[in-house]
Amino acid sequence: MAETIPDWLEQAGRRPEGGLRFLDRHERERWCGWAEIRERALAVAGGLLAIGIERGDRVALVFPTGSEFFAAFFGAQLAGAVPVPLYPPVRLGKRGEYVRRTAQMLERAGARLVLADSRLRRFLGEAVTAAQPDLGCRTLAELPQDAYRTVPAEPADLALIQFSSGTTVDPKPVALSHRAVAAQVEILNDFWRDTGELRHSCVSWLPLYHDMGLIGCVFPALARDATLTLIAPEVFVARPAVWLRAISRYRGTVSPAPNFAYDLCVNRIADAEMEGVDLSCWRTALNGSESIAPAVLRAFCDRFARWGFRPEALTPVYGLSEAALAVTFSDLDRLFRSRRFDREALSRKGAACEAEEGREIVSVGRPVPGFRLRIRDEAGRDLGAGRVGRIWIEGPSLMEGYLGHPEATARAFRDGWLDTGDLGFVHQGELYLTGRAKDAIILRGRNYAPEEIELAAEGVAGVRGGCVVAASWLPEDAPGEALALFVEASREATAAELEALPAACREAVLGATGLVADQIVVLPSGALPRTSSGKLRRSETLRLYLAGELAPAGEAALPLTAALAEDER
Amino acid sequence: MTDEAILAGIQEVARLHLAWEGALTPDMRLVEDLHLDSIRLLTLAAEVENRFRVFLDELDEGAIATVGDLVSVIRRKLGG
Repeated sequence: MAETIPDWLEQAGRRPEGGLRFLDRHERERWCGWAEIRERALAVAGGLLAIGIERGDRVALVFPTGSEFFAAFFGAQLAGAVPVPLYPPVRLGKRGEYVRRTAQMLERAGARLVLADSRLRRFLGEAVTAAQPDLGCRTLAELPQDAYRTVPAEPADLALIQFSSGTTVDPKPVALSHRAVAAQVEILNDFWRDTGELRHSCVSWLPLYHDMGLIGCVFPALARDATLTLIAPEVFVARPAVWLRAISRYRGTVSPAPNFAYDLCVNRIADAEMEGVDLSCWRTALNGSESIAPAVLRAFCDRFARWGFRPEALTPVYGLSEAALAVTFSDLDRLFRSRRFDREALSRKGAACEAEEGREIVSVGRPVPGFRLRIRDEAGRDLGAGRVGRIWIEGPSLMEGYLGHPEATARAFRDGWLDTGDLGFVHQGELYLTGRAKDAIILRGRNYAPEEIELAAEGVAGVRGGCVVAASWLPEDAPGEALALFVEASREATAAELEALPAACREAVLGATGLVADQIVVLPSGALPRTSSGKLRRSETLRLYLAGELAPAGEAALPLTAALAEDER
Repeated sequence: MTDEAILAGIQEVARLHLAWEGALTPDMRLVEDLHLDSIRLLTLAAEVENRFRVFLDELDEGAIATVGDLVSVIRRKLGG
C-alpha cells in the first residue's frame, strides 16, 4: 500500500486512465493525465535540487488552479521538500493587504523558495522582498533544466503545510506528515468505493490551498487513479452554475463545498443557466468547513429538486485542517438530520434538551473510522452525552503540530488527543456544533484571526485602545455566520465621534480585512469581559451578547448600535 | 464609449448583481464605500467583464481601488 503521496503519483502515473480535467470560465476543458503531471513534477524536482533545495525545505506555492500548481506541488515533494500552498490574490482586492498576509505566511512557514505563476510573480515582489526567502521567487520556467532526480520521502516526513487561517496576525502553519495525509485519504476513499456499475468521480471548485480542495478532492482521486474535474474558485464565485453544470456534464458523484456555496447557488443561479442539467448523478454533496445553516440546506433542496438533485445527497460533515480534514461524517444517503434544542438549557446550563420551539442545529454525524471524539469541560474532564463542551479528537490523521510554534502545539495536544477549540455536544450518537471556544472567525469557509479585525477598529477615533472584540456566530435562520464587532467607547469620545463610531469601525474593518461587519455594538468603558490578568474574553463576550447580558449598564446615554448589514443578509 | 456610459453600465451591474441601489460616483472606493468583500469583488469583476466584453487584467493594470479606476481601465480596454 502506498504510504506517501509520491508513491500514489508513481502508481497513478503508470496507468493511463486517471487525471485532472480543468474547466475554464467558458467551460472549455483541458485534460492533464496523472502520467503527464508526474513527468512535469519530475522535471521540477530536478530543477529544485539543482538550485540547492534540500530535504525538508519549505517551498511556498502561489498559483491559480491549473496544471502548473500540480507540477510545482508534486515536484517539491519529489525533491524531498515540503510544499506550502498559499492564497493567490483576490480579484480587485487590495494589494497592500495581500502583500502583508503573504509576507507573514512566507516567514511563518520559513520558506526557502517561492514558486509562482509568471503573472502573479510580479505581484508578489514586495511580499518576497519583505520575507526574503533565501532562494527568492521563481517561475517553473526559470528553474534549471536538469537530470530527473528525486529524494524519497518517508511516511513520517512532512507532506505539506497548510495555513489554518490566512491572516496577518499570527497565522498558524499546520504541518501534516505523509502518514497522516495517507490515513485521511484512505478514510475518505472508503466512503466511495467503486463497484462494477459505479465508478466515482469528483468535481471541485475549491481552492487548492484549502484542505477540502487538496486533501479532500485531489489526493483521493490520485490515490485511486481516478478523474477529478477542477474549476477555479473565482470561476465558481462569478458563475456558480458552472459547478452544477460540470457535475451534470461529467456525471460527478461526489462534490464538496462549504455552506456559503450552497447559498450562493440558490441566490445566483438563473433557471436559464440550468437548461439540460441533470443532478441525479450527484450522490454525495458534502457540506463542511463552516457552520451549516439548516435554512440553506432546505432552500438548496427545494431549488434544485427540479433538476434531479436528491435531498439525501446533502451530507453535513465536520473537520479541521489540524486533523488533515474530516473528523465526522453524516450517514451517506440519508436526509440530513437536524433537531431543535431548548435555548435556555443550551446557553445557561450547557445541556442539550430537545424542544419543539428550540434552536435548530444540524447534525454533523459520527466520527469517521479511526477517529474518536470526547466532549470535555474547560478543566479537561469528560462530559456525558447531551452536555455542551469542548470537542477533543483522536485519530490517525492529526497534524504533527504548528510549525515553529511549540507552545501552541503543546496547548492543542494532551496525551495524543487534540483540542479542536470547537464547542458541541453528542445527541443520540451524533455530533452537533454549537460554537467555538477558540478565538477564530470562520466566514465563507475561511478562518480569520479576530486580532486582525480588532486591530483595524482600534485606530478609529473614539474607540478605547485595546478594547475591541471581534467574533462570529451562526444566527438562527441566517444563511451563514455573522460577524460582530464589540467596541468600548473611550471616556473622552465626543458626541460626534460616538455617533460616527459604527460607520467608522465598519469602514476600517472593511478597508483592512475585506470583511463586512454585520453588527457593531458600541459599549461603555469596562463593559467587555476580561480574564483576571486583563485579557479580553472573546467567546464570553459573544455568549453574554447572545444572552442579552452585555447591556451597557449604568451609562444609558451611550447608544447601543446594532447596524445590520444592508447587503446580502 | 464615454465615461458616463461606462459608469452607467457599472451602476447597472452593481444594482443587478450586488443589490446596490444608491448612485455610484467615480470617487467611491470599492471596498470601503461599496462594502464589497472578496466574494463580491469577484462578482463585480466577473459581471463587469461580461457586460463590457473585456478581460480585466488587474495584475497588469495596476490597482483598481475606486469606481473611477474601474471606469478608466474599461475605457482603455475598449480602446477609448
